[in-house]
Amino acid sequence: MGSAWDVTLNALLLGLLLVTALLAVSARDLLAAVIVFSVYSLIMALMWQRLQAPDLALTEAALGAGVTTVLFLVAIFRTRRREEE
Amino acid sequence: MKRVISLLFIAALALLLLYVVSRMPPMGEPDIPTAVRVVPRYLEKAEEETHARNVVTGVILNYRGFDTMGEVTVIYCALAAVLAVLGREKRGRIRDYVELSGLRSSVIVRAMVSLVVPFIVLFSIYTILHGETSPGGGFQGGAVIGASMIIFTTIFGLHLSSVKVPQGFRASLEGVAVITFFLVGVLGILGGGNFLTYAWPKVSESVHPALVTWLTVLVEVGIGLGGAMVLISMLFAMVREEGADEPMA
Repeated sequence: MGSAWDVTLNALLLGLLLVTALLAVSARDLLAAVIVFSVYSLIMALMWQRLQAPDLALTEAALGAGVTTVLFLVAIFRTRRREEE
Repeated sequence: MKRVISLLFIAALALLLLYVVSRMPPMGEPDIPTAVRVVPRYLEKAEEETHARNVVTGVILNYRGFDTMGEVTVIYCALAAVLAVLGREKRGRIRDYVELSGLRSSVIVRAMVSLVVPFIVLFSIYTILHGETSPGGGFQGGAVIGASMIIFTTIFGLHLSSVKVPQGFRASLEGVAVITFFLVGVLGILGGGNFLTYAWPKVSESVHPALVTWLTVLVEVGIGLGGAMVLISMLFAMVREEGADEPMA
């Protein structure tokens, strides 16, 4: 694994992080926002693993991508899917 | 007017934060205090002082034990707040959206989930018990148990999963993380050391390492069980249908 490959992968992951973060904040459809947020957590978990923090990667994958996503989904289905203007 | 005040407040807060950050030692420099003092100290003394072969576990459960205890208390308080607002599900007469929607998952999904969930639970038990020597630990394993029950609940419904993890079982284990952490910490004081330090002068050298290892494992198990039960109870409280009081067929 060369260092050029490392840098490219890091840049790609960071770029995806930015894109998903912006999408999650700007999405009008809350369901889409939650799904994008879960993708953000998944990329973040990869990022933690690349930064040699497997503890955090495990937590982020289980809590960020799994538990919070479902809790958000339940909250949405108990309220309303669309954001009010 | 209100907008202006809040904008000013946020700007002042941002300036304050930026000032503090600018005064912090630059990240990644070789001669900052954390790199010169804290990290070498942890790497050199952690195994000797905490008897945890995984330095991260030593730091989390020992050097920063108060911090971790605060985190455990926070998730417990979060559950208390959820239960205060939503209330616990009534025993034996619960329904949820899976049953009410009338959409049953396909056979393939149900078979896959019932096949995979036991292995997820097994993995989380490994993560909890092995947290002392490898990455992971109570928090991670507990979160994975919670996630596995969430998968189970979304596919098989609240009724079946509340049979698997009964309410009484959860209610008695939700506080166990805080309690074990506190008791083991106090054990440190009783042994003649400080809270959560395992530097007991009265315990002989031959027993000490094994005792500390087992106490660490005990704390990990407590955190794992408590955290998992908190997550599951939180999900159950949120998922249950408000008006569905009639018993399940």
